[in-house]
Amino acid sequence: MSAEIPFAEPLAAHLPQAPRAALGRRLATLVLRGGSLAVFVAVLVFFSLAAPFFLTIGNIGNVLAQSAIAGVLAIGLTIVVIAGGSNVVTGGIDLSLAANMGLSAAVYATLAQAGYGDPVAVLAALATGIAIGIVNAAAVTLAGIVPLLATLAVMNVVAGVELVLTQNTVIPASTDLLAALSAIGPYGIPVLAYVLLVFAALVAAVVQYTPWGLRLYAVGEFPEAARAAGLPVRRYLAASFVVSGLCGGVAGILSASYLSGSTTGAGEMLLPVVVTALLGTVFSRRLVPTVTGTLLSALFVGFLVNGFQLLNISSTLVSGVQGLLILVVVSATTVLRRPESH
Amino acid sequence: MTKDRQDATFNRRDLLKLSAVGGAVIAGASLVGARPVFAAEELSLKGKRIGISTAGTDHFFDLQAYNAQVEEVRRLGGEPIAVDAGRNDGKLVSQLQTLIAQKPDAIVQLLGTLSVIDPWLKKARDAGIPVLTIDVGSTNSLNNSTSDNWGIGKDLALQLVSDIGGEGNIVVFNGFYGVTPCAIRYDQLVNVVKYFPKIQIIQPELRDVIPNTVQDAFTQITAILNKYPEKGSIKAIWSAWDIPQLGATQALSAAGRTEIKTYGVDGSPEVLQLVADPNSPAAADVAQQPAELGRTAIQNVARLLAGETLPRETYVPALLANKANVGEVSKKLGIG
Repeated sequence: MSAEIPFAEPLAAHLPQAPRAALGRRLATLVLRGGSLAVFVAVLVFFSLAAPFFLTIGNIGNVLAQSAIAGVLAIGLTIVVIAGGSNVVTGGIDLSLAANMGLSAAVYATLAQAGYGDPVAVLAALATGIAIGIVNAAAVTLAGIVPLLATLAVMNVVAGVELVLTQNTVIPASTDLLAALSAIGPYGIPVLAYVLLVFAALVAAVVQYTPWGLRLYAVGEFPEAARAAGLPVRRYLAASFVVSGLCGGVAGILSASYLSGSTTGAGEMLLPVVVTALLGTVFSRRLVPTVTGTLLSALFVGFLVNGFQLLNISSTLVSGVQGLLILVVVSATTVLRRPESH
Repeated sequence: MTKDRQDATFNRRDLLKLSAVGGAVIAGASLVGARPVFAAEELSLKGKRIGISTAGTDHFFDLQAYNAQVEEVRRLGGEPIAVDAGRNDGKLVSQLQTLIAQKPDAIVQLLGTLSVIDPWLKKARDAGIPVLTIDVGSTNSLNNSTSDNWGIGKDLALQLVSDIGGEGNIVVFNGFYGVTPCAIRYDQLVNVVKYFPKIQIIQPELRDVIPNTVQDAFTQITAILNKYPEKGSIKAIWSAWDIPQLGATQALSAAGRTEIKTYGVDGSPEVLQLVADPNSPAAADVAQQPAELGRTAIQNVARLLAGETLPRETYVPALLANKANVGEVSKKLGIG
């Protein structure tokens, strides 16, 4: 939310150096926008030179498939960030997404193991995700709790329910759908890779190219103006949490196929997902969260991890690199976005 | 009276020993074909790329086995492609997927939840890559280097039964029955306890967790002690590995309930130290030889690539460390 605009600050204080500062900012913004893509390309070029196997169709397909679960979750988070505003503390955030995925996967695997077919298990997993989204929406819009706290609380509840359901054990599951999802599709590319691309395209079409999506941005960036224009701000905010919950359910099914059932430790997915969604802003023209930006960011992180592995560099470095990236990106976007609010 | 009971215990123990001998004969039969590690200097992995995948390296066991594999591949002239999933199943699958795509000459998988990794081990096999495992009994593995978990489970259970005189309540951590070695050790405990009707496993059994295993075990045992405040109401605490044992032992010391004894498996240095401490409740810990397991698996890879046929399982002996012999065992493990 942009509600933190310091109106009280005298405007005149900024005037003398304003033109030069504005130019500098514009230049910096340009560098950040073009630079992020340039860094992406540079990373690809570097890895493809250093590890000849990197730029093969098979490997690219693998990276896409490996990014599918985090990608779908990050896209869900992106929608919440769009509707709630990109202030990391007071804006839209859904910390329950990773736990949601864990519980949805557990529900799917439990039902599949109990002999229910794919239709029941899929519907139950999606319903689980949506239900968690509804709880989040209620906590934020009805109870008025800050999303950061509301979803943190829901995250713990969901993780607890998952523990009760699974007894912290692995629940193996094998169904026709899971087999189809974990298979290799056309051109030797895993089916999960296609799922990610199709899912991202569908959500991007809705969010970036429909009036609903436009209003979602309006609600997040200028809630006061949106309210004045007669938009039901709270309803949009609530809807974003429900959609994000649905994404958690979808990711749960993908995760069940990837891990041949439900396994413990879904919570560890949270940080990579938040990183991916926040990093996504640098891959958009206006430095705002977009679905395509998030997709690019998911792939960027995926290629980094993959490249590290192919170069035989310790994977323990990867989370450090992710943390460093998020620090750079969040500070850069914060610095660059501040003047726009004046 | 006491003597009678001792005699009874002895008789039962003798009976058990007999059944154990029987079990050992059966185990021995399956051991045929497993050979001790000799003539390693003739082996070579020159020009070979060996994928080494591990579920994690955050425990003494994993780290020792993982490092030993990497060193052994290098020593034999090969190139290790080593990946560590940091105890994250998703990461483990991603890494296996990328490893398979790189088409190494063989893949060795160290630990991991069978239902999660097995489809990917099968994919590796289907892609023509030989798969070997350490401590994972997968049907897609050509050879599994492992400690004899039947023996480990039986030895630990017998030590426990003997220490508590064949009667009393015991607390059991049974969090990872999906992990084969843990399941075998647990089953052996149940098999042994079955013949001692005066021993009760307190229900519900406790679940050990990853991560924060030590803190979690500490909390759970503290709660149990509050539920069973009388001395002697609990005789022993058993876990399938020794990290929960560590938390349980600390909880017992903190609560002043050092009359309860703890049991575990893996031979982590910190637990062996507790076993060595005469005042600590840690009674026994079966130590595997992780570095030896790692080396054995890689030597098996070299044998396989040289055209030899491998046995289904290669057993590396485990060492039961109790209050009496812990110094000796630690010395054997090189951590004394």
